[in-house]
Amino acid sequence: MRSRSLAVVIVAIAALAASFGLLAQQQAAARFAVVDVYVDSTAPLAAWQFELRERHGEMQVVGVENGDSRAYTQAPYYDRAVVDRGAADRIIVASFSLRPAAELPVGRARVATVHVRLTGSAAPDFQLQLVAAGAADGRPIDAKITLDTRTGR
Amino acid sequence: MSRERRRLGIRSMDNQEREGRLYDGAVVAIAAAVITVIVAACVSTTLPDSGGASADVAAAGGASAAAGIAGAPATDDGEAGEAGGALGSATVGAPEPKGSEEITVTGSRIAREQRAARMPSVPQAAVERPLAMTVPLQKSQTAASAEGGREARAQGVAGSPLSRVQPGEEIWVIETVAVHEAAVAVEDDQPGSGALVAFVARPDDPQQSRVEVPLPLRHTDVHAVITGYVGSVDVTQQFENPYAEKIEAVYMFPLPEKAAVSEFVMTIGERKIRGILRGKEEAQRIYQDARAQGYRASLLVQHRPNVFEQKVANIEPGKRIDVNIRYFHTLAYEDGWYSFVFPTVVGPRYNPAGFKDPVTALPRGDHREPIPGSAVRYLRPNERSAHDIGIAVDVDAGVAIEEVAASHAIKTKMDGRNRAHVELASASTMPNRDFVLRFRVAGNAIKSSFLTYTDPKSKQGYFTLMIYPPSGLAALARRPLEMVFVIDTSGSMSGRPLEQAAAAVSAALDRLESGDTFQIMNFSTYVSALAAAPLPATHENRDRGRRYLRSLSADGGTEMLSGIRAALNYAPDPQRDRFVAFLTDGYIGNEVEIFSEVHRLIGAARIFSFGVGNSVNRYLLDGLAMEGRGAAAYLALEDSADDVMSYFFERVSRPALTDVSIDWRGLAASQVYPRRIPDLFVGRPVVVTGQFKGGAETIVVRGRVGKDRLEFSLAPDVAQPAIRTLWARLRIDDLARRYAWSGSNDLAADIRSTALEYGLMSAYTSFVAVDASERTAGEHGTTVNQSVPVPDGVRYETTVVERSASAVR
Repeated sequence: MRSRSLAVVIVAIAALAASFGLLAQQQAAARFAVVDVYVDSTAPLAAWQFELRERHGEMQVVGVENGDSRAYTQAPYYDRAVVDRGAADRIIVASFSLRPAAELPVGRARVATVHVRLTGSAAPDFQLQLVAAGAADGRPIDAKITLDTRTGR
Repeated sequence: MSRERRRLGIRSMDNQEREGRLYDGAVVAIAAAVITVIVAACVSTTLPDSGGASADVAAAGGASAAAGIAGAPATDDGEAGEAGGALGSATVGAPEPKGSEEITVTGSRIAREQRAARMPSVPQAAVERPLAMTVPLQKSQTAASAEGGREARAQGVAGSPLSRVQPGEEIWVIETVAVHEAAVAVEDDQPGSGALVAFVARPDDPQQSRVEVPLPLRHTDVHAVITGYVGSVDVTQQFENPYAEKIEAVYMFPLPEKAAVSEFVMTIGERKIRGILRGKEEAQRIYQDARAQGYRASLLVQHRPNVFEQKVANIEPGKRIDVNIRYFHTLAYEDGWYSFVFPTVVGPRYNPAGFKDPVTALPRGDHREPIPGSAVRYLRPNERSAHDIGIAVDVDAGVAIEEVAASHAIKTKMDGRNRAHVELASASTMPNRDFVLRFRVAGNAIKSSFLTYTDPKSKQGYFTLMIYPPSGLAALARRPLEMVFVIDTSGSMSGRPLEQAAAAVSAALDRLESGDTFQIMNFSTYVSALAAAPLPATHENRDRGRRYLRSLSADGGTEMLSGIRAALNYAPDPQRDRFVAFLTDGYIGNEVEIFSEVHRLIGAARIFSFGVGNSVNRYLLDGLAMEGRGAAAYLALEDSADDVMSYFFERVSRPALTDVSIDWRGLAASQVYPRRIPDLFVGRPVVVTGQFKGGAETIVVRGRVGKDRLEFSLAPDVAQPAIRTLWARLRIDDLARRYAWSGSNDLAADIRSTALEYGLMSAYTSFVAVDASERTAGEHGTTVNQSVPVPDGVRYETTVVERSASAVR
């Protein structure tokens, strides 16, 4: 009888622990943040493409926003096939502008903001790589890509 | 907080609340003695603060990088990154203040340098602010914006209607709730509801004599570009909060049933946030999280292929959020005319008892939520909203446009012979009936065609085949008909719609030939019929039929399944072709049940569906025709019923090309839709769409006219990439129908994967967009359902479930 009671208690403990664990995970799932992406180019920037990852696989992209330049007023495009890889998102984002070179951004400019939902308990660990940066005539140009992260004000 | 406000708050907890209850249940089930131990073991899971950091990555573009600059992102698997040639990467995000690392990549050389000193500083508050923290909005700000809104409204009143009041006219001044918090507690108590300004009763203008109800959707802007027979349509919904408190706007709206929704952008001022397509449950979870935490967010959910729900969370008082949706679809073509249709309102649906996924019609202010299912709220007959619509269409027909016609007053500007710009004559048109634009192209310009497109990345080919019946069919005589007319006499058909339906059937009786037979059935809650069996089309029997038509009245539910069974479930007449003409507005919620039953019972019969009204359920009507291997036609309330029936008989009075098959020759065709190619009637083409591998080759189309065989060949031509999206939309539609018949979870999974792969909305995928840059103050706000007018010609009293009803169904 005593051993049966003990077994019941052990099962109960395990069930409750699992419940609390899930609850904690669920609560931790509700964090949002933004990743501002900047390209610093030496020539007018007519096209760009970058890839953003989160090292822990705990990022869900929930929106991709246009940057500051008037040459890029539309929201950038993203690669859906990559986003659909589940909760551990990485995303490839790109845009281009057909504006004259004089209207294209030169120097450091925010080209996009990626809105994300962070699902895990660890601090986010973003990885960013510039895939391509080009001038209006299609030539690759020297450019540097950076990011800032922030949470909702 | 008012009584009703509290109720709304509870309702909005939905999934999280339910899940919370599960946990509560688990806790109750466990002995209290162990809780202390367990909690101690679990509290170690702490909620992290947000990390934040900044890092730089430099990349010098190499020669191969140019390949990646084409605009669209590379598709995946790291190929894009590797192909780029000039990559940099950095790890960012560790919250410790140690700076980050700069990595410079030039060719094969990688240089690293610690750059803490040069790293742009990020304000510490932004980096380390807990995500759960809320920055309260200053009360003075709220008050100021509310005051501004009140002033604007007051000026509007003073400036227009009151200044036009004539002696003897009646003036009603109704308190505006929008600026009085306490007024939320009235019975019809969405924020600001039951409110507004003033109206002047003008018997000559019913619109002007209605109370304007403040609602969040201000305007819908539609811009369509038609190239050939493919339309690309941008729909912008402008939401603006007219209340003194924060709201969530919910809007049920229609799109064409063939719409392939592929883009979704939320606009806040100059900022445009492209939404992400995800599995439906996942998208809803993201939206609910964002909403609960005060972030602006929007969610697009599909309830039917032609019924969608837009949610926009955390719209602050006086603020505006736009949502842009883009979709593709094909235009219908018949006898030289292309038709572009934009529906503007979801008609009030009838849902048979026990149906699992109803779309319920409720009055404005009725907060009951059907579970399961969804609801559309309707304005009462004495109410109107400020929501209006603007539509502009740019047509490039590719051939000369000879004539343009529309359901609304339009302005047309031709640009050469092949192109036209069309827009609504009034920029503030009330959205209560379908906008139908028709344009006729040069005679004999449209022929059978076989268009192909090959995806350059996947090498997957797509084709669309438009088959026209040979013109020689028009010279042949038809077989005798067994014509079964089935008229919807439910409450929504009350008045003008039933008059139109009866007039159409009466006109059809005149066109029957001596060898034909006919039957007239009507259904609402029950089915009735003219006679026990089809009658010969004698003069006396036609008169008898007309008397029967005059005796019909509209009332009760729409038990269409009973009507389908009555029309199809009896022995066929071997001497005649059975044609069933369904005349209905299609306002039912159980479309898939209807399709399934037609699929089961159709046999050798053919169904021709007639949509009667100005805003009919085209998903049902087109689906009936597809499953019934016939065709759909539309009879607007101002159309000539005689003309429509005359046109129909012209069509069916010629033999169709039947048993159509396609010899693909060397083409490896697969996933071809529709699976069953319907009969081809004179003047009406059939479009077949599919995939193929390898090179495109000439194909052969074969069919039968009576006992004669016909065949013709078609050579491939190059098409536009939109074919890929249109094929995916057809595949989803096909899978959804098969799922309705079989309930196989594999099919549901196929729908989801196809939708995600091709970036399309479906019953299993949704678009979600979150603005995570700023949290709005306070709770998520009250949910306001955007109420809509009942469609033009439909009676509110016979279609909308008022609060006195015992249950929502």
